[in-house]
Amino acid sequence: MATSHRDRCAIAGIGTTDFSRASGRSELTLVAQAALAALEDAGLTAQDVDGIVRCDMDNVRHNDLVDVLGIPQLTYWSEVGPGGVAPPGMVAQAVAAILSGQATTVLVFRGLNGRSGRRFGQSALSEQRVGGAGSYDELFAPYGLVTPGQIFALMARRHMLEFGTTEEQLGAIATTCRARANDNPAAQMHAKTLSMDDYLGARLIADPLRLFDFCLETDGACAVVVTTVERARDLRQPPAVIRAVAQASTADPQPGIQFPTLFRESITSLPATAVSKVLYERAGLGPEDIDVAQLYDCFTITVLMQLEDWGFCEKGEGGAFAASGAIGLGGSLPINTGGGHLSEGYVHGMNHVLEGVRQIRGSSTSQVPGAETCLVTATPLPPGSGLILVADR
Amino acid sequence: MTGTPRLLPVTDDVDTGGFFEAAARGELALRRCNGCDAVLHVPRAYCRACGSWEGRWEPVTPTGTVYSWSVVEHAVHPAFPAPYTVLLVELDDLPGTRLVGHLPGRPELRAGAPVIAWFEDVDGTVVPQWRLARS
Ligand SMILES: [Zn+2]
Repeated sequence: MATSHRDRCAIAGIGTTDFSRASGRSELTLVAQAALAALEDAGLTAQDVDGIVRCDMDNVRHNDLVDVLGIPQLTYWSEVGPGGVAPPGMVAQAVAAILSGQATTVLVFRGLNGRSGRRFGQSALSEQRVGGAGSYDELFAPYGLVTPGQIFALMARRHMLEFGTTEEQLGAIATTCRARANDNPAAQMHAKTLSMDDYLGARLIADPLRLFDFCLETDGACAVVVTTVERARDLRQPPAVIRAVAQASTADPQPGIQFPTLFRESITSLPATAVSKVLYERAGLGPEDIDVAQLYDCFTITVLMQLEDWGFCEKGEGGAFAASGAIGLGGSLPINTGGGHLSEGYVHGMNHVLEGVRQIRGSSTSQVPGAETCLVTATPLPPGSGLILVADR
Repeated sequence: MTGTPRLLPVTDDVDTGGFFEAAARGELALRRCNGCDAVLHVPRAYCRACGSWEGRWEPVTPTGTVYSWSVVEHAVHPAFPAPYTVLLVELDDLPGTRLVGHLPGRPELRAGAPVIAWFEDVDGTVVPQWRLARS
């Protein structure tokens, strides 16, 4: 089925701050820096922006940026969530705004003081009574199930039980992402190598998951500028053409944000099963057409299951696929070439979009030679999103 | 558990309160649709299968098997000092339907290990808990 948005918009600029554990700056300052860098990269200014898309969990609002950057007038803004599933969906909103005539130049951003400010994985539960009001936390938190890492630990254990997945296979994902970060001077873990012995020797957090199965905590911001392909061709950088975007839910997402997902029929697959079908159909491409992928990696097991759910291998074979070297540089599907959330930084899905653009431009620090298609996913627990970038032809 | 602050559930939520009311009677109960008997889990009022808004809290046999587990070694909440174990339990009466459990420490576990529910009363709040059954 032809899709009306296919190849019609592009990412024309990317911008990022440094990634650190203590930025010493407000989230608004971080986002403003990333946004200005993205505009500069595209050869645009704040005067050109008429649309903004944010993540629902961001503390920076559209009016903050209008005022701080001096954007003359917004004619479109929106937000996408929850949290980490947003970035490709945010780009999708930008595409929709542009193709429906509501905006011409859309800034898409995510910024957070994820280490020095509010930290993920710290239980936000401070009351003695938890749950209610549609959260469903009352069925989970009283048992000590209080973090996403513990959810993914239960999923990882089940994957091991059903398919024989091993700790070393999870470790192959951690060490592969670290190797990409070692090539990337901007990565938080640039200077720290990670061997399989290091991985296996690290302390358990929620078994079977260890320290290096968890993504980093990061202060930083990332932004991209979306406009039409025609306009992008006149700007400073070669366009990273947005082949297709997709958001998609499964039939049984379960209510709530994350904990009830453990009651889905299967806990060894992710909503990537749904997003992949919609995205590949819209793109007219399949997994065999993907040259390089940026797979959402809040945890190693998230990547392992996505390798299966995005069709790069059969269900249950994600571990063997990862350990085969296929996901490394020179493999059939190099992944997370900036180091990913596991080793570059955790900007909640957004740094994957930027790295996807770099691969299409040919400017990654772990460049896949001749890469013309890059998949970017954000499909952890809730219904998620994905996009495919292609070179301008 | 003396000296450790407890994290207790809200027990009077309109959609989930019946689970805890049943627990206070010493029963493990799940929400069922009156129209078609579908299991509504997590609990909600509307049945998407038949369109009914009428439901009931129906007791199930308080036994199940271990579906998955994680030994939490890194504590993130003062009510739960590490190590402890989080369980996913599949109910014997309703295969495919799961609840969460908590076991102290690092118990020896295997998939399919039988577990049985008991009801912990913390100052009047009753929470269904699970323990390993002898098999
Ligand atoms: Zn019904």
